[in-house]
Amino acid sequence: MDQILGYRPLFDLFLLHLGFAYSQYIVLRAGAFSIGNVGLSAIGAYTTAILTVQFGLPMPVTLLAGALIGLLFGVLLALPLARLRGVYQAIASLAFVQIVLSTNLYAENITGGAMGYSGIPKLAGTGTLLCFVVATIYVIWAVSRSRIGRAFDAVREDEGMAVSLGINVPRTQTIAYAMSGVIAGLFGGLEALHSYAVEPNQFGFHLIIVIMSYVVLGGRRSVWGPLVGVALLIALPEISRPLADARIMIYGLILMAVMNFMPRGIVDTLIARRARRKARKLAPATLKPEVQ
Amino acid sequence: MFAQQVVNGLIIGGVYALFALGFTLIFGIHKIMNLAHGGIFMTGAFIGLYSVQAGLPLWVAFILAMIGSGLVSVIIEVTAFRRLRASGEVEFGALISSIGANLVLVSIAQILSKTQVLRFPFDTFPVVMFKFWGLRVSALQLAIALLAVVLVIAMSWYLYKTSFGRQVRAVAQNERAALLAGIRPGMIYFQTFMLSGMLAGAAGVLVGLAFNSIHFMMGDPFLLRGFVVVILGGLGSVAGALVASLGFGVLQTLSVAYLSSRLSDIIIFGLLFAVLLIRPNGLFGRDEAGVLRGRR
Repeated sequence: MDQILGYRPLFDLFLLHLGFAYSQYIVLRAGAFSIGNVGLSAIGAYTTAILTVQFGLPMPVTLLAGALIGLLFGVLLALPLARLRGVYQAIASLAFVQIVLSTNLYAENITGGAMGYSGIPKLAGTGTLLCFVVATIYVIWAVSRSRIGRAFDAVREDEGMAVSLGINVPRTQTIAYAMSGVIAGLFGGLEALHSYAVEPNQFGFHLIIVIMSYVVLGGRRSVWGPLVGVALLIALPEISRPLADARIMIYGLILMAVMNFMPRGIVDTLIARRARRKARKLAPATLKPEVQ
Repeated sequence: MFAQQVVNGLIIGGVYALFALGFTLIFGIHKIMNLAHGGIFMTGAFIGLYSVQAGLPLWVAFILAMIGSGLVSVIIEVTAFRRLRASGEVEFGALISSIGANLVLVSIAQILSKTQVLRFPFDTFPVVMFKFWGLRVSALQLAIALLAVVLVIAMSWYLYKTSFGRQVRAVAQNERAALLAGIRPGMIYFQTFMLSGMLAGAAGVLVGLAFNSIHFMMGDPFLLRGFVVVILGGLGSVAGALVASLGFGVLQTLSVAYLSSRLSDIIIFGLLFAVLLIRPNGLFGRDEAGVLRGRR
């Protein structure tokens, strides 16, 4: 029993990062290369923390406020980013993350500056996190099977085609930004209520890279990709603990190996392989299935 | 005072330019975001340092660092990007596999240096101060500025005036068509990665000398700045990268000097955001990242 309880902090981390990963996943799914969700998480975290500590509001209210402010900023961010594509979009959203980070550092009397904002009561335990994660995955799964989900896929795969099919690209992507904002703000708030303190630099370039690794390694198309990515990358340092100094190296080598041999990410590559096997079974022996 | 700050800014900008040039070479030509560039830069600094410690003169160490980091860069191309390119998933896949490669380099350096901050011996580079027009500039700062300018000119010449450069640009435009025209894309990738690595190695030694601190994490802060500078200048635009680096350096120095260092980031990134909105392809970018381009 103690053994299992010892892994509880790790499991909590897994759940929180799942939330962050899905807030990233949903914008990538809709073909928007934005990493602004990390900034939205920071805004959500500070909103929740300040409302809890300064105004003593209960958890449901503060979390709702975190999610709503994430939604607000997510939609606001969607407007300028709609003008940009590809890496330019990524860099503009990176600028947004840096602006949020530096503002949090600068506004010392509100956010506590570089020292961070501490003294937050721990209101969110493993159970709360689990509920929100399950709800998030369910909503994303349901949306991705709906018309909107198919619109996301169309916009991502070929924007020109999506437009010709009558899909309103800016509106579709704004929906993705809004969902991303709600999830990012909510899990930012949960992070604040779970870890006693928040600090500006925890929502920076490093977190962006970590979250991007989860989503791309797991697979950025299938709903289950981020789940696999987070599970693998959170468990990996634990599993390789006996290797001590070489741990980071092994982590790096595994990232390289997975991308080399499963270039679409783990889940998407497996799905593509299964589809190809099925196609091979159905097709006549002479007809070789086209390599995607 | 103001002029001195501008000069300091230009020199910091020169350092960013040295770092960003190799990055923009790969980014602009192969559309690969090589996040291991910071690691290659750090490798250059380490090779330079160990060569100097082994008793070699600085210029030999400098050349060794450039060759060594060039080779590391080529190895990364083969191990991290070659298969990904074939699969057509390079835009996102390269992010992750180069993060992996970066972690490997950082981890090796951490083990080698035992997590310590290392320094060049005191008089590796002659400490000479020049004073003119009321400005103070050290010989090292001049060397950095000069080298940045020379390398930019050399690279523009290489890309736009030589037959190698024409081949590189042909592969950048359309790899398959270039293959049909008798160009071996493999050789082009070897060249560009070698060059990019050499530039990073040179930058690593110079930065190691200028700030006199060499450690396994030294590439990280440059990666973020390099990113910004390359995009601001416009993908694959050598001149753009230089202008953006210098502007970035000056702006940063001035805002730190006259405002506060925390406000400086807000201003710089706010400006970056605004510039991208007005010019969606960067200041000098010609890449049509147009709205209707098919992406995956």
